[in-house]
Amino acid sequence: MTTKKFTEKKKEPHDKKIVNLKEEIEKLKQELAEKNDKLLRSYADLQNYQKRIEKEITCKEEEIRKKYLLEIIDIFELIQKAYEHSNPKDGLQAIIQNIKHLLEIEEVKIIDCLGKSFDHYCHHAISTIEKNDCKDGLIVDEIKKGYKLGDKILRPSQVVVVKNKDIIKKEGE
Amino acid sequence: MKKIIGVDLGTTNSEVAVIEAGKPVVIKSAEGNPYFPSVVAFTKDGEKLVGDSAKRQAIVNPEATVMRIKRKMGTKDKIKLQGKTYTPEQISAFILQKIKTDAEEYLGEKIDEAVITVPAYFDDDQRQATKTAGEIAGFKVRRIINEPTAAALAYGLDKKGEQKIAVFDLGGGTFDITLMEVGDGVFEVKSTNGDTHLGGSDMDQALVDYIAEDFENKHGVDLRKDLKTLQRLIETAEKAKIELSSTLKTTINLPYITVVDNEPKHLELELTRAQLERLISPIVEKTVKPCQQALKDAKLKASDIDHIVLVGGPTRMQIVQKKVEEIFNKKAERGVDPMECVAVGAAIQAGILSGEVEKDIVLLDVTPLTLSVETLGGVSTELITRNTTIPTKKSKIFSTAADNQPSVEINVLQGERPMAADNKSLGRFHLDGILPAPRGMPQIEVTFDIDVNGIINVSAKDLGTGKEQSIRITGSTKLSDDEITRMKREAETHAEEDKKRKEKVETRNNADALAHNVEKTLGEIKDKISEDENKNIENSLKELKKALTGDDLEEIKKKTDELSEILQKVSANLYQKAAEKAASKQASGSTTEPKNNSWSGHPSGDDKTIDADYKVKDDKKKKDKK
Repeated sequence: MTTKKFTEKKKEPHDKKIVNLKEEIEKLKQELAEKNDKLLRSYADLQNYQKRIEKEITCKEEEIRKKYLLEIIDIFELIQKAYEHSNPKDGLQAIIQNIKHLLEIEEVKIIDCLGKSFDHYCHHAISTIEKNDCKDGLIVDEIKKGYKLGDKILRPSQVVVVKNKDIIKKEGE
Repeated sequence: MKKIIGVDLGTTNSEVAVIEAGKPVVIKSAEGNPYFPSVVAFTKDGEKLVGDSAKRQAIVNPEATVMRIKRKMGTKDKIKLQGKTYTPEQISAFILQKIKTDAEEYLGEKIDEAVITVPAYFDDDQRQATKTAGEIAGFKVRRIINEPTAAALAYGLDKKGEQKIAVFDLGGGTFDITLMEVGDGVFEVKSTNGDTHLGGSDMDQALVDYIAEDFENKHGVDLRKDLKTLQRLIETAEKAKIELSSTLKTTINLPYITVVDNEPKHLELELTRAQLERLISPIVEKTVKPCQQALKDAKLKASDIDHIVLVGGPTRMQIVQKKVEEIFNKKAERGVDPMECVAVGAAIQAGILSGEVEKDIVLLDVTPLTLSVETLGGVSTELITRNTTIPTKKSKIFSTAADNQPSVEINVLQGERPMAADNKSLGRFHLDGILPAPRGMPQIEVTFDIDVNGIINVSAKDLGTGKEQSIRITGSTKLSDDEITRMKREAETHAEEDKKRKEKVETRNNADALAHNVEKTLGEIKDKISEDENKNIENSLKELKKALTGDDLEEIKKKTDELSEILQKVSANLYQKAAEKAASKQASGSTTEPKNNSWSGHPSGDDKTIDADYKVKDDKKKKDKK
């Protein structure tokens, strides 16, 4: 009797432990399923967010295009008016001022180049010219104006650069 | 996860790409371009230049500028620059270093592994040299792969079983054709051929010559002799070429191109795509022989080729595409930018190596069609648009369409058509027990929740009573591809008439809502408006209601507008009177108190007072922000 009682006593907490563990497992299983669902949902959210951002970028691009197209249209209409006029010079002067103003607002600046030394950062050499009475690397002609947008290069100036063979020879020696 | 970049180390330009969130992204240079000129130079001061700046000074400093180093890879040639000698590997390493720095800047993290592409015809020495260049630049070169293989990877052709692929690569200055066989993800080059002096620049030259000759015939001046005009010609020719890839005709217009006898001359020339094609067709024709030779070497017939992949800018031109498709008698693959596809393919290979592709990315489904509920007048009101990645959840608040409506029916729809009847009904249920209230007052929140398996839970909850009903729909996303395509196509073909039908219902709904509103508010403002005004409104309302019993849409629209106009006038009068009253009261020293009194005396009581309060707060906030 006593031994039986003893084992029963021992068995009871053992069973309870199993039940508890089973409950624990069930709880964890559920938790895992919930976490997994949450993870998948955040993945999906991220992907849907990416799609939305792509759409927004397209919209933004269109907005910017619209803004600049309207500026161009304004200028276009003014030039057309000037064209129809018998003496368009004054009008054109005003139009040029308008465009200059627009470029100023946008912080567009002309890159200086004539008479300067060639700088690969903002000048693009299209050709060279041999001249022995000028400094080697001097810019003597501008093929196309260059512009800066703030600190960045919008378009490098296209230039012709002096090659002074005498100087090069001397340096070589 | 460490990122590995894919590099298309080209003869004139190099491109770089990386896989981000499962998608290939082309990396821009510090100068903001999606490519890196493969040019290296040293200035007199010993400064090293790579890319755009090196290219810009090339003509001033030709003895210390290296271009097209790729052609020297694997040779024992030495390159002397400002007194120092370099191997081709070292020069290529300078390019790769610039790529590494710019990519790190772009991605905001350190990059030290790369997959680099080489032409299929590169021998072991050339491949080893390329690998060495990568290592000098500080990369662990994970793999050297063939350019055509990368291009095929960009199109996912490694996953289509056993295939024979022709990669047609027409660049700025070189042409390569490669025939390959792929099976089990392994690519085997069968043959290659090409022409090292054939490409887009030949086409530009032909076009410049054509424009210059036309001008010379008309005005007796050769524009190519003056550097300034030649430069303008080159730029214009390139623009025209690109424009004619999408249009059939363009006008080349260069005002003040030159001066003849003190008279400014303008260049104006109309160019059609047919003319351009005639000009460049001898160049395109030169690609035929290498292709035939490649087929012969691979012991293949043109009909054996399963896929054609196009690489290089000039392949964007239709005449080139047509020629390739004619040679192999098959449509070319489309969808990846031919300028970027080698770098993109290299990035995909890199992504497979890093595990970014396939392994860790969870492939989630998208809803193939839009999910919506039916609302007043049989309109489909969408909750989850098509192509939304699942699992996802979306809610929208709806209301009743009639006064004292006791229940609402939720009809769950699938499809792209704006009218409910044209879409597929997935299921419907009722939410009862809505407390008697004027139309538009009850708030019914409808929630669509799609789990990862595509099972949709739709629930409707009366936010007033908390009562809820729901339905579970299984298998909705398991539509067959045919069914999805059919439904999409139907939506496209019926787009115009659907729009009209929806407009019709909306006009009707608007008119109905207006009539309802006017009826309700007329009682409230009756004492504040003149008898004439009252009569006007009543008559107009009667006419609108009569129009609503018929089917004449124009009539309904007209009557709606008429009534709105009358109402606007009346309310303007009303507000003006109120303002005058307030002004006179304020003048006599009165505060805003009377206004509050009038709110609290309002028949519908507290709710509205709160509403008005919120709005005032909002307005203030907005003003503060400004």
